[in-house]
Amino acid sequence: MDTRKAVKTYHRNLAIVLAVIVAIFAAIPLVVDKPYIINIFVLTFYMSTLSMAWNILGGITGQNSLGLAAYMGLGAYVCCLVVTKTGMNPWVAAVLDMLVVGVVAGVIFFPSLILRGPYFTLVSIAFAESIRQFIINSEFFGRASGVGLPFGKDSFAQFRFTSKVPYYYIGFIMMVGVYLIMKKIGRSKLGFALRTIREDEDAAAAIGINPTKYKVIAVVISAIIAGLVGFFYVSYIRYIDPDVMIQSKSTEIVLPAVVGGAAYIEGPLIGGLIMIPLSELLRANFAAVLPGINMLMYAVVLIVVIRFRPSGILGWYMNSKFKAFIDEKILKKPSLDVLEEYELMADKGGK
Amino acid sequence: MEVFLQALVNGILLGGFYSLMGMGQNIIFGVMNIVNFCHGEMLMVGMYITYVLYTYFGVDPYVALPIVAVLMFGLGALIQSTLITPSLKTKSFTNLLFLTVGLGLLLTNGALVIFGSTYYKIITPYAQTYIPLGPVTIALPRLISFLILIVVAIALFAFLKYSTTGKQIRAVSQNPIGAEVVGINVKKIYILTYGLGVALAGIAGSLLTQFYTIYPTAGASFGFRALIVVVVGGLGSIPGAFFAGIFLGLLEQMSALFISPSYSDMIVFVTFIIILVVRQVMILRRR
Repeated sequence: MDTRKAVKTYHRNLAIVLAVIVAIFAAIPLVVDKPYIINIFVLTFYMSTLSMAWNILGGITGQNSLGLAAYMGLGAYVCCLVVTKTGMNPWVAAVLDMLVVGVVAGVIFFPSLILRGPYFTLVSIAFAESIRQFIINSEFFGRASGVGLPFGKDSFAQFRFTSKVPYYYIGFIMMVGVYLIMKKIGRSKLGFALRTIREDEDAAAAIGINPTKYKVIAVVISAIIAGLVGFFYVSYIRYIDPDVMIQSKSTEIVLPAVVGGAAYIEGPLIGGLIMIPLSELLRANFAAVLPGINMLMYAVVLIVVIRFRPSGILGWYMNSKFKAFIDEKILKKPSLDVLEEYELMADKGGK
Repeated sequence: MEVFLQALVNGILLGGFYSLMGMGQNIIFGVMNIVNFCHGEMLMVGMYITYVLYTYFGVDPYVALPIVAVLMFGLGALIQSTLITPSLKTKSFTNLLFLTVGLGLLLTNGALVIFGSTYYKIITPYAQTYIPLGPVTIALPRLISFLILIVVAIALFAFLKYSTTGKQIRAVSQNPIGAEVVGINVKKIYILTYGLGVALAGIAGSLLTQFYTIYPTAGASFGFRALIVVVVGGLGSIPGAFFAGIFLGLLEQMSALFISPSYSDMIVFVTFIIILVVRQVMILRRR
């Protein structure tokens, strides 16, 4: 059948392209043996993951939180303390840390979810700062000097490696895994509910979507992913102090999403893969002479994107000739009519 | 008792700066309904301008005040006309938010690139003069700064209340479309408002230089406190912003005195969260 064949070709091409991309990423550590380059990739992976965590609450639900770094830091602290004080396996501690961060975020945000627009942003900043101040003042959390994980032999069970390559692969898997979950959420009822709340909260409530309930879900998902990244971060750096929770770090998390296109699931991923290596290269080459130059570049890119491409790189790409070319020539994407027809056929076949 | 009185005076003097910052933020927020997340950075820019004028041209910080105000007004007007006004059209709160966040990053890191991370200080000949006032002592620059703050606040209040431009600004903040209908140039008012708000932050920064170190992230804590002042003092209210600023300064000094200096930041933030939530609950009840 013609329709079926065209759609099958398209899906096959799509799969080939994705497989090639994954293969390239898998092959990079085999070709490049500079730890410095691998480090940039690891950084890119976990920052993009964090940016995706922000995006579910900020870009998709429209609740612009500016305090995610605090939840990542909290996750890292919980993980670190549980491992050092009780000797628990780090992987188990990671699950515990995600639970703790999710519950903490859900409980403290619950009363403030009635706040809208700028007020929500302000409260998220205030919460993040309060958490940081609490940690700085707490003996248990090691005050301003932070806490570290024990060093020792390489071991997967302890998530401890001398080489950066295992972190590269685990970081990559984490990023892709979180992306797939986000993609799944984006297509589910939850995703549609969240987008409806972003567009018009009152209308959402009128058609039977409980805004508070869905906002809590978004906050908790976002915090759980931040907790996961916290676990990865502390296992990689092996040390955590309150400085990773400062306000500017939270802003840094948001930038890839806004530059990439905050309304899209893929936005933070695209933004992260472009912006973070660029920023790190600038830092490496110029930071000695001109400190702050990489953040300056970040700021300029951010302002230019918002001013001239308000929907981000991805928003621009979606309407560009470049996408049309790729769809037509490389992926051989069939027209929307054909795709719809195929879906109808699939539905009938299913029944 | 003396310690308490000293803390009281210090709180009021510190609160004056929060008031001034809050007033600038208040008119921007009130007129355009955007949160200026680079307000603290504007204070920092004002500090650096004063520093440059003092160190390289020998201009006294108080003489430099009008120059700083004019320069900052120009900077604000430029930002408003080239960046914010075009972005207002998209009606996307996220974009406007991150535009000002981006501007803040730009200014902080611009200062870092130009001046490095060195801590600068302005030491004027009269900086160490202390005035005994009953049981408490006040540094002369602090007192002068506070008096200037009060003059600026009164001038701003009178400007918004009685001048034609001030009335236009208030009209736009109440209803931009209605204001446009009756012939007010809304774009001009936006430029004026943002320039004015930024100039107020610059004035605060300029006054602060004599007893505060100058470094690229000096404005961050003031920027956030300005937002607290706006929320607590009420939108569009200059006297509200003034008293909220004083209240915040007192709260900070008193919690440092009675609880612990290291907890004073946290107490400010937690109080802010409680006020925000309670305020929203009250608004919802009233409906």
